[in-house]
Amino acid sequence: MSRSKLSTMTASGSARQVRASFVDPAALMRIKNLQLRAKVVVEGFLSGLHRSPYHGFSVEFTEYREYSPGDDLRYLDWKLFARSDRYYLKRFEDETNLRCYLLVDLSKSMGFGSLDYNKAEYAKTAAATIAYFLSLQRDAVGLVTFDAAIKDYLPARFRPGHLHRLMLCLEQAPAGTGTDLAAPLEQIAKTARKRGLVVLLSDLLAPIGELETKLGYLRSRGHEVVVIRTLDPVEIDFPFDEAAMFHDLESGRELYVDPQLVRERYRQRFGEHRSALATVCSKLGIDLYELATNQPLELALFDLINARMRRGRQIARRQGPGRPSPARRTAAAGGAR
Amino acid sequence: MSVLFPLYLAGLAALTLPLILHLVRRTPKGRKEFSSLMFLAPSPPRLTRRSRLDQILLLLLRLAALALLAFAFARPFLRQEATLSLANLPSRRVAILLDTSASMRRADLWQQAIKQVEQELSDLGPQDEVAFYTFSDRLQTLVGFADTNPTRQRGSDSESTLPPSGSSIPKTELVRQHLKDLRPTWNATDLGAALVAVAGELDAAGDALQSAAEPQLIAISDFQKGGRIEALQAYEWPSKVRLIAREIRPKQPTNAYAHLLTSESDEKGAELRVRVVNSEGSAGDQFFVHWADEKTANSRSQPAETAVYVPPGQSRVVKLPRPAERLLADRVLLRGDDHEFDNTHYVVPPRKQQVQLVYAGSDAADDAQGMQYYLQLATGGDPLRQVEFKPLAGDDAAVLRATPPPQLAVVTRAVSPALAAELKSFAERGGMVVLAPQDQAAAAAVPLLLDDVELLPAKAETENNQDKFLLLGEIDFSHPLFAPFAGPRYGDFTGIHFWRQRSLKLKEGASSHAVARFDDGQLAIVERTIGTGRALVFASGWNPDDSQLALSNKFVVLVSGILDRACGTTEQLAGAAVGQSVPLPAARRMAAIVNKPDGHDVKLPADAASFSETDQPGIYRANLAAEEARFAVNLAASESNTAPLEIDQLQQLGVRLSASLTRAQRLSEMRQKRDTELESQQKLWRWIIVGTLGVLVFETFWAGRAARQIQAAATAAQESAS
Repeated sequence: MSRSKLSTMTASGSARQVRASFVDPAALMRIKNLQLRAKVVVEGFLSGLHRSPYHGFSVEFTEYREYSPGDDLRYLDWKLFARSDRYYLKRFEDETNLRCYLLVDLSKSMGFGSLDYNKAEYAKTAAATIAYFLSLQRDAVGLVTFDAAIKDYLPARFRPGHLHRLMLCLEQAPAGTGTDLAAPLEQIAKTARKRGLVVLLSDLLAPIGELETKLGYLRSRGHEVVVIRTLDPVEIDFPFDEAAMFHDLESGRELYVDPQLVRERYRQRFGEHRSALATVCSKLGIDLYELATNQPLELALFDLINARMRRGRQIARRQGPGRPSPARRTAAAGGAR
Repeated sequence: MSVLFPLYLAGLAALTLPLILHLVRRTPKGRKEFSSLMFLAPSPPRLTRRSRLDQILLLLLRLAALALLAFAFARPFLRQEATLSLANLPSRRVAILLDTSASMRRADLWQQAIKQVEQELSDLGPQDEVAFYTFSDRLQTLVGFADTNPTRQRGSDSESTLPPSGSSIPKTELVRQHLKDLRPTWNATDLGAALVAVAGELDAAGDALQSAAEPQLIAISDFQKGGRIEALQAYEWPSKVRLIAREIRPKQPTNAYAHLLTSESDEKGAELRVRVVNSEGSAGDQFFVHWADEKTANSRSQPAETAVYVPPGQSRVVKLPRPAERLLADRVLLRGDDHEFDNTHYVVPPRKQQVQLVYAGSDAADDAQGMQYYLQLATGGDPLRQVEFKPLAGDDAAVLRATPPPQLAVVTRAVSPALAAELKSFAERGGMVVLAPQDQAAAAAVPLLLDDVELLPAKAETENNQDKFLLLGEIDFSHPLFAPFAGPRYGDFTGIHFWRQRSLKLKEGASSHAVARFDDGQLAIVERTIGTGRALVFASGWNPDDSQLALSNKFVVLVSGILDRACGTTEQLAGAAVGQSVPLPAARRMAAIVNKPDGHDVKLPADAASFSETDQPGIYRANLAAEEARFAVNLAASESNTAPLEIDQLQQLGVRLSASLTRAQRLSEMRQKRDTELESQQKLWRWIIVGTLGVLVFETFWAGRAARQIQAAATAAQESAS
């Protein structure tokens, strides 16, 4: 597996050197087995984390919390102390149980891809990676795949074989015919009585008004919502040169477009949409992360953990060691990269 | 350099096509799939820096190929001579033929015609020859081709304002001067004969003068259907002569005419009928006819008119009796059409004949048992004949020699040989003698008058037997006396009994002939021509004792026949059309004066058999010694057929027509012919096509080379990218 330094370009043009060596997504996507793909990412991520300068940033964060004076030293993890030179207390397993719902958008627009793989494949891989990662944490993971309607639904469980079933479900998911966020979000709202984490993997290429309504619906149920916006690099930069008839995968519409004439306007509108989306998510207290398909999938995990970390600190500040109460996020929390 | 077909140079507009194709961005062939078009707007095709004036050489080559092709089609040539001028035009030999028939009197046709002649004269070039003819029913040469002295005229009117011979004036000026004196006639139109004659003269003039001038016949006419063109059928039109037809039309098309129908029976008192004919192409169909005479023709008071509805191209017959107050009306007037020239039809009115009848008989005029009584009754009822009875007493034949001489002598009594000789002499002078002896004694005059008729002795039983009667058994109905009875309805004489008759017998070789015989074969009526007159002998008298003849209704007609035979009919001389000759009566061959409607008198020599100066319509009066004969001359009916003739009909009869061209147009035509000839000699278009092919070959080579270069560059770019 090639590990290379990755440079990712954002729409603003700033380069960010990732110090950790991640798996090249193009090479990763050549792995046919989704579970294996996820495993490669997770293990790579975890091994990278060990060399990470971000001390205290540990995958095992669900199992430990920082020592505060007055905590019971019976739960101090001495091995971790030896490793990290910091004091961490173990948590009970039941304290760390998380219900995570993965909502994977498999609509037609997700079928677009300028690389060797499309956004849907990338989103599936990201979902599989997160599911694998969470299952290592012994968290319950559920799955909803959708396009115009819900394709598959797996409730959040942590049982033997559930992960496998989840992977199979993801692998077999076909390309969609349309997009309707409302149906899956409604489904989640109906079935997920216990509050949990909802991770939505979609390109969110829809009008802002629609998105606000539907995302707000989830938040009103009290779920934590993380949105990982999966975009193809050309969707961000629109680097085309030749004029052509552009065919909309979602609606089937065609337009004669001269990229040289429309590029600036495209970027402007895209940026406006992105800003509006960020504003909406911020208002709703949703963590929004943008992930281009040419970026390593480890970043998905990174984003997820980052989000959890912020929530975790907030919870840790409110509560002491013992049975923690479910984390609550304020509307001001959350961030988008 | 010039081009033969400059219109093809419009093909140079096609040069814009490669320019447009070269510069305008074509619809992209590429098609890209994209996730969502929500951030995109459509772009119009536009020029790009890359496509503008790319491959300039290719563009120029293609433009050059198109331009050369358009130029080749335009057929260029090098003009070697100087520009043609009017002086270079070939000369023409022009015959101007002007219609002077009666139909040219309509509206302003004559003025149009004069103007047209002026126009033709002004269009003549200095090298052109001209001749001038007029025609109606015959051709008249006013200025001919062969006139070497332009001042001498052939066959033209002598009364004109032309300059005296000796002074030379141009022919065109001569024609103009003739035009001043010309007027339309009243004659009919014989277009065919005129065209044939003039075409022949044109052709002959060309041969005679050895001239290469182009012969042209310019006919200025209304070309009516009534104009006869039969003469063209048997004529082979000269190949070089071209006819230019200048049609003249009046603005108003409606024309009708009326003429009196002559009835076959010709009975006096028969109702007069008028046929009204409306020509084709007329717009109106309502006309009015009435009788008029010289005094009332132009009066404003409207007489009683008879309305006639006649659709265009058709005719209608209406009864038009002479009104009681206008028995002597001499013309039928028509009203309601646009042209007056043919609206008057002249009819000679009947006139009372003054007849002097010498009666030699022993009965009184009021003796109902005599013959004079019935004779007077029979002659008194004719309104058109005034018969004056003059008694002949004894042997006094002075009344037979009176002036004017009597026309008829009726003898019923016995006459002396001297009187018989006088009667014979009277007949020889042209008079008519009717012998109707009342008895055998009176019948003795018969052999004296007719020496080839024998008087047989009287038979007692025929004289006195009242129970036995004879009928007319054998009648010569071809004889003018019995012609009115020729029909089966009128030819039954069995109701007339003849009790007493004189027995007459024709000798061998007699020149007298039997007009009627009794049913027993005896002569009943005998006639013989004596000198310029004749004698008529009745074997039986018409007094009641002799026969029932006077009491029958056929007697009046017989007497009228006798009077006609003696005096001539009350009908006048037969009418004629304008231009036709009117035969004069043979019995009146003596010096005569004919009074024309315009008041002119024409003296005719004694031996003149006919009168031919019928050049205007109206009533003509021929004063023949003591008698005056009248006849009516009217327009020929064909002249009233004013519907326009299709000029194509002339072409079908072999006439070669030509479009009328002005001198400028002819010059242009000549120029075109000259240019066409030059171009066909030079054939520059072939070289231009060769050049075009060369350009296309080079363009193909260059385009291939450019395509290869582009492909090589693309391949190199691909390799470097990968």
